[in-house]
Amino acid sequence: MTAQIAERLRYQGMDHALCTNPLSDYFALGGTNPGFESSCTALWRGYVGTWEIIGERLYLTGLTGTLEDGTEASLETLFPGFPSRVFAHWYSGSLRIPQGRQLEYVHMGYGSTYERDLFLEIARGVVVATRLRNNGKAADNAPQGYGIAGMTVFPRASKGDRGVP
Amino acid sequence: MTYLYGYLLIGAVFFAVVYGRHRLRKGNQPESLVDVLEARNPNRNRLSYRLVNHVLVPVVGITLVIAAWPVAIFFMVKERLDHKGSSDSGPERAFAVERQHLLERLSVAEVEAREVVVDPLQAVPELPFGHLNAAWQEFLKGTRVDDELWAFAAHWQTRWGRREVREGYVTVRDGTPGAFFMTARKELID
Repeated sequence: MTAQIAERLRYQGMDHALCTNPLSDYFALGGTNPGFESSCTALWRGYVGTWEIIGERLYLTGLTGTLEDGTEASLETLFPGFPSRVFAHWYSGSLRIPQGRQLEYVHMGYGSTYERDLFLEIARGVVVATRLRNNGKAADNAPQGYGIAGMTVFPRASKGDRGVP
Repeated sequence: MTYLYGYLLIGAVFFAVVYGRHRLRKGNQPESLVDVLEARNPNRNRLSYRLVNHVLVPVVGITLVIAAWPVAIFFMVKERLDHKGSSDSGPERAFAVERQHLLERLSVAEVEAREVVVDPLQAVPELPFGHLNAAWQEFLKGTRVDDELWAFAAHWQTRWGRREVREGYVTVRDGTPGAFFMTARKELID
């Protein structure tokens, strides 16, 4: 397993890393998954979504990724007729936004810990609460913000012969 | 004394065979679950934790196996026999709605009326279940006229230990819940 590239979230005018995958719930609840190509071990899900909180509502505003047939995916690939913004009404749960310097790096999923976690509690796509969790003080030379340390990239030509994470 | 050495030698050989077999099997399995469990353990960096788990436990284990290998063999055989007779040895139990999860009986029209999604930015089709309307229509195709439709809420634990509340609608045929349409799966956090 490898640390995963985060989703992106625009919240209160700032861009953040989002360590939650609301699209996973969309697929689990019956939304059509077109089949994303996993291009590297740091992105097993095969896409990166860009999200935004507008008026206390969660929207998917962008999507980058490649489908298994090689075509580039966009928002319209998943949500035809909605090229610029999709209301994530299917999502209920927490959104985790890590903040501050890195406390500990874990080379797995979203396992790394940071000085603070901002949680947005979502009910049917609407922000119903926020809470900030303090996790401790990092060393002064610790890296700032969410990041991953390494990955194995799969060459497209050798799709069937992937490296081990 | 010769008998004691012989006994301990058999124990050492037994341990070597069991350990070698374990290593061979482990080589074919992903380390992801071990990584997950390790990463979630807040004590993993403590010296005491490392000493106990990486030194003390293996040393005591090896000593016990070599000293009491007949007991180890007994439990291995017993476990294998119990496992053969167990009905839980099949694939993981799939999520299913049960009668105790049922909340309220509704008609299709009632469900659709309460589940229309509206968005001020028009970023969703104004239909029952919004972007998931196609999945809902597919679910309805599998229902019969005499099926009952119920709202449900159920607690569930995934194979990775994540505890969730799952909500949605389920058909009840001849008193038995069957196909369901899930609308939410919220993680339960202590």
